[in-house]
Amino acid sequence: MKEAVLQVHELSVERRGRLAVEGVSFSLPAESDTALVGPNGAGKSTLVAALLGLLPHASGRVELLGQPLAANGCLPRSVRAQIAYVPQNLVVQGLIPLSVAEFVGYGFDLPGPSLPWKSGKQRTAAVMRALDRTQTCDLRKRLLTELSGGQLKRVLLAFCLVRPRRLLVLDEAQAGLDVHSNEQFQQQLLDLRRQEGWTVLQVSHDLEMVRRSSDQVLCLNRSLRCSGTPQATLSEERLGELYGLNMVPQPHG
Amino acid sequence: MVESQFWSLLSEPFMQRALLGGMLTGALGGVLGSFAVLRQLSFFSDALGHSSLLGITLGILLGVNPTLVLIPFAVLFALLVSQLVERSALPTDALLNIVYSSSLAVAILVLSRVKTYRGGIQQLLFGDILGISPLDIVVIAAFLVASVIYLGLSMRAQVLLTLNQDLAGAMGVRTRWHGLAFVILLAVVVAISIKAVGVLLISAFVVIPACAGRLLSRSFPVYVMISSAIGGGCALLGLLFSGLTNLPSGPSVVMVQFLGFLLAMLLSSSIHLNTRPS
Repeated sequence: MKEAVLQVHELSVERRGRLAVEGVSFSLPAESDTALVGPNGAGKSTLVAALLGLLPHASGRVELLGQPLAANGCLPRSVRAQIAYVPQNLVVQGLIPLSVAEFVGYGFDLPGPSLPWKSGKQRTAAVMRALDRTQTCDLRKRLLTELSGGQLKRVLLAFCLVRPRRLLVLDEAQAGLDVHSNEQFQQQLLDLRRQEGWTVLQVSHDLEMVRRSSDQVLCLNRSLRCSGTPQATLSEERLGELYGLNMVPQPHG
Repeated sequence: MVESQFWSLLSEPFMQRALLGGMLTGALGGVLGSFAVLRQLSFFSDALGHSSLLGITLGILLGVNPTLVLIPFAVLFALLVSQLVERSALPTDALLNIVYSSSLAVAILVLSRVKTYRGGIQQLLFGDILGISPLDIVVIAAFLVASVIYLGLSMRAQVLLTLNQDLAGAMGVRTRWHGLAFVILLAVVVAISIKAVGVLLISAFVVIPACAGRLLSRSFPVYVMISSAIGGGCALLGLLFSGLTNLPSGPSVVMVQFLGFLLAMLLSSSIHLNTRPS
């Protein structure tokens, strides 16, 4: 059994005065791909936000790369640098004049104050390597706001790739992508995961994709309803319990 | 004739102070405005400006130098309003509107009762950059330096925070701390610029140069630099124009900023046409 990159024990998280996630325990073995599934409003995004320290947790324990996450979300800088997050909608502010190369460069920098010109050459070389490996070199001068959904996901992979990471957390990465672009993105993610030794946790609604690519599935509906391999967890009976009868998401096509 | 008038104007110490003070205020407005506009804080700066009149009124009532009261008032006001916006379910612009119109109303009612200050309302509304003192210039310059150092050292945090708050938090940015620090900085800058620019026109200094800069930039650091250069440059031209024509200084600067914005729109659309793929 490989060491655990993320360990969660009896985690409960409050949102707007009520428990949105209750008593959740699981662990992510190194270099595994875990899918977090569940109906809308099940607390998936809340759980992810708490694991990243964006929301405080009410009770329980979270350990990231062997370091405890404080209840208020604080985590040592050295651990933060090894974690990357891919949000559902990256560009919340549609007017920001930020080029692809600049954005990927900010993924290279460590948290905390630093001189803008520090580690310039090293940074530029790392950015070029990351853009090259995600086939986004030709996009480097484009603004983030000018990219298509598929291009933006590739740039996000470059953002993750620009510095060695251990854990990637993706929140509905397939949102905004057509079937073909999603297939391409998942294939690229799989290849890079194997090459880089990333451990991946992704929130997903695409059960067909989860069946094909995940090692472990966590079924959440406020509490953890079941967990295990896709074969064991994604049976019709189990999904019926999770999503409610006749509400099971249908595979594509 | 105009030339000799121009040189004699430039040799006046009050005009030299006004030009320097105006340029620094314009540049400061451009730097902070470039972040404020993208973080949708432009209306917030407008509300802050209008509400400053209440701070000045408090100073007059207490018999203290209004500028001394204004800085703590603006910071406290900004923190209270941002808490209110965070906790309320009402739309932000509606809330800001309620806050600024009521504080403006209270301030005008009180000022109209204070006999000694009746003549000064116009000066408060439109500013008096020609009356700027050497101390004012030192304070504005110090805040410009402080803002550039803070924003420069935390550029990664500021950009990620402006782009996506959750991503910034996950990448180790202390989002709440930086959000509050920026609001406090904006409040202080509005407070120290009010005397020169006036309550009604302060938001133009924050918003117009940043919008013009945005139209001309394809990179974040360039955007901040262009916005601050436009802010400083427009203030300089506006004040020279005002000195030569004897027109009010604040509105002259805002008119030049507006012309600069129109020029930026023209330039950006011609650049856009040139680079559009065929």
